[in-house]
Amino acid sequence: MNPPASIVIVGAGQAGSMAAVALRAQGFEGRLTLLGREIHAPYERPPLSKDVLCASEEPATRIHPDGHYQSQAIDWQAGVDAIALDRASREVELSDGRRVGYDRCLLATGGDARELPGLPRGTAAVHYLRTLEDARRLRSALTPGRRVVVIGGGFLGLELASSARARQATVEVLETAPRLLERFMPPAGSAWLAARARQAGIGLHLGVRLQAAHAIDHTTGVLRITRDDAPPLEADVVVVAVGLAPDTRLARQAGLEIDPSNGGIRVDEHCRSSDPAVFSAGDCASQHRAATGSHARFESWQNANDQGRCAAAGMLGLPPPAASYPWFWTDQFNSNIQMLGLPATGLTYTLRGDPEAAEARLIWLGHRQGVPIHAIAVNAGGDLRQMRSLFEAGLPLDPTAFADTTIPLRGQVKAAQQRAS
Amino acid sequence: MNWTRIASTAELQDDEPLPIVVGERRIALYRYNGEIYATDNVCTHAYSLLSDGFLEDGCIECPLHQARFDIRTGKVLCAPATQDIRTYPVRVDGDDILLAI
Repeated sequence: MNPPASIVIVGAGQAGSMAAVALRAQGFEGRLTLLGREIHAPYERPPLSKDVLCASEEPATRIHPDGHYQSQAIDWQAGVDAIALDRASREVELSDGRRVGYDRCLLATGGDARELPGLPRGTAAVHYLRTLEDARRLRSALTPGRRVVVIGGGFLGLELASSARARQATVEVLETAPRLLERFMPPAGSAWLAARARQAGIGLHLGVRLQAAHAIDHTTGVLRITRDDAPPLEADVVVVAVGLAPDTRLARQAGLEIDPSNGGIRVDEHCRSSDPAVFSAGDCASQHRAATGSHARFESWQNANDQGRCAAAGMLGLPPPAASYPWFWTDQFNSNIQMLGLPATGLTYTLRGDPEAAEARLIWLGHRQGVPIHAIAVNAGGDLRQMRSLFEAGLPLDPTAFADTTIPLRGQVKAAQQRAS
Repeated sequence: MNWTRIASTAELQDDEPLPIVVGERRIALYRYNGEIYATDNVCTHAYSLLSDGFLEDGCIECPLHQARFDIRTGKVLCAPATQDIRTYPVRVDGDDILLAI
């Protein structure tokens, strides 16, 4: 294909805005349009469940400084919805009737909070969190003594619970799984986190089967949530955090290939979809990963940044940047929890650190005969970062030494590197 | 300039940032390629001590969210931080490390 003269990016979130800036950084000089449904300049979403809810003043969340898109000749258009993708004429149709032509199009459409049928969006006292408006609305609802029920004990639900507690609300968390973050943590990690949440005053209900949740009193807005085998809960505020539905409407309407396993837009290692002129990045994309030989969709800040850059390179016909080792963080209950790598079957987890300590610094290392594959770190991001080179190169540590906190990790990492060279 | 003794050279190892409190300021000291550098210790993005972070190639990476700063210039190198970090002049006098605030 010829080098592109015009590029349209649909979606001005983390992936879309990073891609726009990366395109200019990589030398693209053609017409570059960045379409955002929201009225805000592209902003970081991680703070929405944390500082935007709790900090005394709303923090600045912009991804790029004021005026940056203009200075980069990026035609950022706010409050514009793309309603159709016409692949034959290579045009994006907008809600205001305009059509914008492209040589390459990037779908960075992200997703929406998954809705529970009994608790539709827009119901009084019911909250979902995806946008800055959602966060502001929730912030004003979180006042001391309010009874808050969080449905969903995943990363987002726990962050929201932590923030609601910080605003002195009473908080109950309902989770259907028998333990917290079951897919991401060894059982000991889940137990540690549950203890931490309870210590913070969270009422934690695991293995919950929700029967129904509906407003019982329209004048007070009090919601009653009924469960199997347990008395109903009453709530002044219900926050639903049961996952993200990738926004693939344009892609489906245009007949692009969708990954049946995760609902994402299927793309190759260049972020290219089944149409070579259309790319996808971020929460809505299911990308082929060379490391595993399979497709995966990741909802993370790091992934949105990486795929934004990857798609920029792909649209310009440049080789993809090296894939980073998957990394994720969450801040909750005054702890910074980081995950490096992905869980896999057959891992042995070795713990470094004392989980009973008040200021716990912990790493659960998931390994195969010492070769690190997956790790969860609690307040030990610097230590985890030191180990990244071992993850990337597949170099083994001695698990017994790893578990011994009297042996500094730095020396262990260096020794592992020296054994390999 | 007002030079204050803040550490001895023996306390500072390569690759291992040293946290120092000077009055109400938190400072991180670094030794890199035989040179000593000082920056503010609190990340410009979120409350976190850079001295708990990862020092590599003259850059300090925040332990919380992996923002990176050049310890020589204080320049922010990657998101999520967007603001540079303050640096301070440092000099060595015998075994003493002196900092100008």
